[in-house]
Amino acid sequence: MHQNTSDAINAVSLVHSYDGKKNAVDGMTFNVRRGEVFGVLGRNGAGKSTLIKVLTTLIRPTAGKLTILGMDPSHKSEEIRARIGVVQQDESFDFTSVEGNFDIYGVLWGIPKAVRIERRERLLKEFDLLEIRKKRSFDLSGGQKRRAQVAREFMHDMDILFLDEPTVGLDVIMRRNLLDLIKEQVKGGLTVVFTTHNLEEADYLCDRIAVVESGKVIALDTVENLKRLYGGKKTVEFAVEGSSGIELVRAVEQSLDGESTLKVLNDGTALVLTEDPKKALRVVVEASQKLGVQLEWLNVRKNTLEDVFLSSIGEQRSGN
Amino acid sequence: MVLPRVSRLVYRNFKVNTDPASLVILVGLPAMYLVFFGFGFGDLLFIAPGLMAFQSVMAGTVGGGMLWADRRYGMLAQLLVGPFSRLDYLLGIMLTTVIFGLAGAVVMYAVAFALLHGVYISPLGWGSVVVTITVGSLFFGALMLILSALVKSNNTYNSIQILVLFFINFASTVFYPNTPRLPVILQVLFRVNPLSYIANLVRAGFDGTLVPVDLFYLIGLLTGTVILVVLATRTYMRSDISYT
Repeated sequence: MHQNTSDAINAVSLVHSYDGKKNAVDGMTFNVRRGEVFGVLGRNGAGKSTLIKVLTTLIRPTAGKLTILGMDPSHKSEEIRARIGVVQQDESFDFTSVEGNFDIYGVLWGIPKAVRIERRERLLKEFDLLEIRKKRSFDLSGGQKRRAQVAREFMHDMDILFLDEPTVGLDVIMRRNLLDLIKEQVKGGLTVVFTTHNLEEADYLCDRIAVVESGKVIALDTVENLKRLYGGKKTVEFAVEGSSGIELVRAVEQSLDGESTLKVLNDGTALVLTEDPKKALRVVVEASQKLGVQLEWLNVRKNTLEDVFLSSIGEQRSGN
Repeated sequence: MVLPRVSRLVYRNFKVNTDPASLVILVGLPAMYLVFFGFGFGDLLFIAPGLMAFQSVMAGTVGGGMLWADRRYGMLAQLLVGPFSRLDYLLGIMLTTVIFGLAGAVVMYAVAFALLHGVYISPLGWGSVVVTITVGSLFFGALMLILSALVKSNNTYNSIQILVLFFINFASTVFYPNTPRLPVILQVLFRVNPLSYIANLVRAGFDGTLVPVDLFYLIGLLTGTVILVVLATRTYMRSDISYT
């Protein structure tokens, strides 16, 4: 890959192995542009957190070339760390109140007192933490902890913010609320690297996404381009009442052309990813009539990131 | 004014470790020892310098506890992806440990001063007390750092610490002297226990009974401390920081 000095992060054939046998990061090549929200999407154990550890200079790459803000982390790790912010996947608090944690963090980052107080008050307000400011951090609920941890990171200036699954363990409403808060904070053009296994989050927040699996980047593009890539396709969904669904799925599968793929989800819904949705609809309707099966519902929709994710993981596996 | 990095870590260590409950344990408990043991055995002049020396152990447990808590609650990883190196963090803990040890010794002296209606320590005596407690705090700080860096379970950490501290505290000359009337095994434990030498040196400074041989004891203590600090540094630098 061409090394662009204006990139915030540039990784070429990046490798990290904990034991010298299996690579947790296995030859990843990607770049993160300045000012973009870059998503690292993958299942648990795909290598996301190891990648974040390497990018935040916590562990060294075993092989490959890496530059962060134009600097080589093997020689300039302290300079890099002074210009990044990291919200870890696990909670990390000192044994004191929420506002005490903000104050201490500001001191640790060498923020002058007046600026520290101004930022603390603004962040407590923006992240809806004013009412719990005197509460001890370890007494907070899961959602409050995550909000406090993300908010605290904005106490200092930075060029890149790393968010390692910041919404893990939160319910849907809290998750969206936190994503909105993050979105609001990064409006000014901060570069963000955001890991998640949640497809909706990546779709909602990120400009570009790297899909990772088994330590490799298996797809990398904007959300729209990824959808188009695994695509120009659309998805035909259908479901059938009762046990006759299996017969219908088999019949549809036999009638589809080689370009279309069929997947059945855990709830029994069948998905046909196809470039020709009209033909797929016809196949489903004709098969259901032939078998005398009553369709519970039938729908055509655009591809979602979930479809992209399932397709790319599937291709990676068949490639292996 | 922006403080140097290690000073910022020391500030943070104090803010986090000086809540009322911690202060009661750190200072209140030895002060109670001083009152109860001092009046109980009727020898405040013996117990007081012993408990000043004992502060080096208390400070050491604070140092080890800081690393342990920071590993366990994610702050070590958080600091190390911030503007600090591993060495900064270690120096921050060591410096905090020494300050805790010296401050605790001063508090013990103040309590003894009040109970004894005035105790005079010569400048040379104070010099001996300060140097000994500084070295002693580093010794026990390094010992507890090794424990914190190696152990992964909370129960194991607490059990080992309690066991080690029990022998260090009670098989030493902090609370009573090593006399031929003690069982031989205890006499041996007293002699190999570094806290005995720390207590003896502080007591000599306190009483104004320093003799040239004390310098050799101090050199011995310093040598042991250097070895332990090197070991602690190596162990800590290689340790897992438990960032998942």
